[in-house]
Amino acid sequence: MTVSGATQRTRPAMGGFWWRRLGRSRVVRTFGPFVPVVLAWWAVAELEFFPAAFFVGPDVVVAEFAELIKKGILPAYLSDSVTRLWTGVVFGLLIGIPAGFLVAMSRWARRLTWPLLMFFQAIADIAWLPIVIVWFGFSLTAVTFVIVYTIVFPLMISIVAGVEQVPRDMVRAARSLGAGRFRVFTDVILPGALPAVATGIRTGLGYGWRALIAAEIIVGTSGIGFMMFDARRAGEVTGVFVGMIVLGILWFALDALVLAPFERSTIERWGMIQTAEVAR
Amino acid sequence: MSTLEIKNLHKEYVDAYTGETVTAVGDVSFSVDRGEFVSILGPSGCGKTTVLNVVAGFDKLTSGSVEVGGKPVTAPSPERGVVFQSFALFPWKTVLGNVAFGLRMRGVPRREREPVARQYLELVGLEGFERKFPHELSGGMQQRLGVARVLANEPEVMLMDEPFASVDAQTRRKLQEDLTDIFQAKRPTVFFVTHDVDEAVFLSDRVVVLSSRPSTVAEIVTVPLERPRNWRSVLENPDFRHTVTHLTDLLAGGRAHGEEQAERLSGRVDSSSEPPVRADAGGES
Ligand SMILES: Nc1ncnc2c1ncn2[C@@H]1O[C@H](COP(=O)(O)OP(=O)(O)OP(=O)(O)O)[C@@H](O)[C@H]1O
Ligand SMILES: [Mg+2]
Repeated sequence: MTVSGATQRTRPAMGGFWWRRLGRSRVVRTFGPFVPVVLAWWAVAELEFFPAAFFVGPDVVVAEFAELIKKGILPAYLSDSVTRLWTGVVFGLLIGIPAGFLVAMSRWARRLTWPLLMFFQAIADIAWLPIVIVWFGFSLTAVTFVIVYTIVFPLMISIVAGVEQVPRDMVRAARSLGAGRFRVFTDVILPGALPAVATGIRTGLGYGWRALIAAEIIVGTSGIGFMMFDARRAGEVTGVFVGMIVLGILWFALDALVLAPFERSTIERWGMIQTAEVAR
Repeated sequence: MSTLEIKNLHKEYVDAYTGETVTAVGDVSFSVDRGEFVSILGPSGCGKTTVLNVVAGFDKLTSGSVEVGGKPVTAPSPERGVVFQSFALFPWKTVLGNVAFGLRMRGVPRREREPVARQYLELVGLEGFERKFPHELSGGMQQRLGVARVLANEPEVMLMDEPFASVDAQTRRKLQEDLTDIFQAKRPTVFFVTHDVDEAVFLSDRVVVLSSRPSTVAEIVTVPLERPRNWRSVLENPDFRHTVTHLTDLLAGGRAHGEEQAERLSGRVDSSSEPPVRADAGGES
């Protein structure tokens, strides 16, 4: 009786230990949540709730995925999509960041452009596609235009908000320590607005990514969006599934490899964003 | 020769919405000598921060004159470093980077910056924390960093606006003692804003007492305490208690006077719209 009591007591402790170790592992933390989702997906597919023409299981999708890679279609389309996104993002940031700071810093620029900003921000990115296609045809320029458009406005608006949130005392401190207006901008406003810039880039990229897929579906000559639409036209649900999953993975990778490390090494390191107290 | 000279300072604000003018500072004159520690004390809203902001160059005065080192104040300058209640440290800079900020802004070469910065960190007891970021320090340490950051610039006058108001009572006592020690060691000129009577007496050579709005100087009280000071001995000193009592009376008198004025004013303004019953209420508190 004492023995069984002892084992009963140690077992949950051991379990807790392994559980905690698992919870700490990066791989488990990243991919763990997907396990039940994939299992459920598999179950739904196996049980054949829906006809196979509408819904396929993970095994079929993985096979198709391998097939598309082998044929070279997926890599080619993927690189097309990523190139388009990249071109759009580079131009979007090159225009959006300076424009955002200009509007934020100059009262006149703000007065002149704010109503315009609000107006153009309200026109959905895809709503531009018809006219953009008329102007630039079914080309990279058309797609880039739409991505730049979607990135620039949220970025500018979030930079303006970020600059406004730089505490007044911080600017005054810098002034009273000998910083002129230019140094206040480079040494206080720029880093002070960084959390907002990071948020702006994140939202901008998210919108840009979506706009890209939409543009590819409509402009459609190549790319992941085109691949999905093409698969649908051919009645192959599997291709659509593959496309959706690739989109998810790409965003995930972008976030995990670029955005999150950048934020961790800057604004999180500086304590400039509060890590949520609620869900500790 | 006095380092800071304020003559007939008068400051009005125009309310952005109603367009009314608010007199923040009525008529204030006093001076701070080189190496002197002067506090300004007064009821809430009497314009202490406004006086400091004008001296710092953050706000423009409406009339009168403010001179530091014989030159009129027009804009913020490293000659008038400010320690803020909110600390206002740069979170993206390390402790060392924060202290060296002023030196960097003034074009001191990198090699000369670091030893000076380290020397001031040591002065405030922050050696060993050079590579930390401000958010990794306690509130008390953050404000000591705020002091070091200003002193490293060797300003003509250090301006402090209720610098210890946002730390707990125990830490505040410690910081006040540290500040007197630093003052003793470096003899900077300090202009200190507070509404804590004990703090003002403990720290200062002289205390400027303001009346409530429209503020004027009610009295300038010299503190008869020897330096170096520490709370233990100061609290037992009858001179300390005397000065504190005197200042408390001055503030209480000033407040009653201010309320009378406020009543008269509100009576005049409100008589048409509000019943005059409210006029009696102020006397009881
Ligand atoms: N920017 C401003 N615009 C309009 N009115 C102002 C402004 N700044 C201060 N005031 C007014 O001037 C008066 C004095 O304010 P100030 O902040 O200098 O008082 P204070 O003595 O520092 O008060 P406290 O002890 O509460 O800090 C207040 O009535 C305030 O409402
Ligand atoms: Mg104040």
